[in-house]
Amino acid sequence: MVESLLSVTMRSLYVSSASSLIAFVVAIALSFYITRMGKRIVEMVTGIFEALVGVPTTAIGLVVYMLLYPGGPLGPLRILYTPYAIIFGEFFVALPVAFTFMIRHVHSAREYVRELVLSLGGLEKQVAAFLLRELTPVLLSSYLLAFSRAIGELGVALIAGGGIEGYTNVLTTAIAIQTSIGNYEYAIYLGLILILITVAIVLSLKILGEYIIWR
Amino acid sequence: MEIELRNVWHSYDGFTYALKDINLNFKKPGLYIVVGPNGAGKTTLLKIVSLILKPSQGFVLVNNKDFWKLKEDEKTVIRRDIVFVHDKPILLRGTVKYNIEIGLTIRNAYNTATLNYYVNKYGLEEILNRSSHKLSAGQAKIVSIVRALVLNPYVLILDEPFTFLDETRQNLLLEEIKNRVKENKITIVATHYMYKELVETSNNIIEIISGKIKYST
Repeated sequence: MVESLLSVTMRSLYVSSASSLIAFVVAIALSFYITRMGKRIVEMVTGIFEALVGVPTTAIGLVVYMLLYPGGPLGPLRILYTPYAIIFGEFFVALPVAFTFMIRHVHSAREYVRELVLSLGGLEKQVAAFLLRELTPVLLSSYLLAFSRAIGELGVALIAGGGIEGYTNVLTTAIAIQTSIGNYEYAIYLGLILILITVAIVLSLKILGEYIIWR
Repeated sequence: MEIELRNVWHSYDGFTYALKDINLNFKKPGLYIVVGPNGAGKTTLLKIVSLILKPSQGFVLVNNKDFWKLKEDEKTVIRRDIVFVHDKPILLRGTVKYNIEIGLTIRNAYNTATLNYYVNKYGLEEILNRSSHKLSAGQAKIVSIVRALVLNPYVLILDEPFTFLDETRQNLLLEEIKNRVKENKITIVATHYMYKELVETSNNIIEIISGKIKYST
């Protein structure tokens, strides 16, 4: 008896949304902070994150496993082979994608938004609010990229989550496991759901951004 | 309000200087015209006078106090008397109305009467709900000017304000500048072209070439 498609899908959505949301918030805070430190620092940090985008998710999964296994530095948290381990690992998968996409936009927009706010008698602390509003479509896109990367990755979900049926099994691990045991029909359904979710979310948010937010 | 630049130098890259040893003061009310060719340093000078750009070297004195050594809240109080209009209009994502109201929102000083007066005067009623990204260069320019005018600042600094404007709006703006002179306010205009009416209104002409003051009355 295999787990229902709905159950796997819901878990996948939950884990990927949580990890990409945390990565997204951290990326915003980091990019807003870094852009205050000058162009050279921005270039340097961006270069590091760009390199991290290319790191295979299996390598990230391995690092996360070493951090979380019982004898590891974060072992006492006892979250290995739980959905939290996947969220933790996918955070590192999603963060470089979200950060590298938004940092250049934040850097260029910060300059003119700051000048405008100050030239109209505003405070330094008001700049961030106007910047967030100005960059809403860009931020939305960076969240989408982070989410797409998180929901589509296999390495972390398999190594840190273990693909335990009914507990840590997500769409990608389920596809891998069902294919390996020859249950191709089920694996194809899962694959189609994964593609549909990704395309539907990306399209709907793009439409939202294009016609409602980007005015 | 008195603004004075003392031995001001500014470099964006640390190697070449956009401004070299500038000594100027804007103490008396009236119209100050800053002229000079493209790349002479006019915009950099205006940004420093507007107190939004800290010079690399030298002092910016406001009422005889070093502005850049003041506390943030003191800086804000002073900045609220000065409004700078960029050469290339900076319009944020949103409608024309939103953009015109930004300064009022920032200052928490919404004034419908003044807003309507300038919107009507410059003929912006029909584009108030239009997206700022769908404006022509002239429309964007006038929106950024109106956004500054509704704040009625003591010091108004305009960088190439007549570029892209049609003749009617150029005349309206010239009239506005003359009125400000009559009201004993400070208006600083940077331009690469000496408008006759503008020169007639001003006793203070500053010529800047290659970052240096060549001539100042």
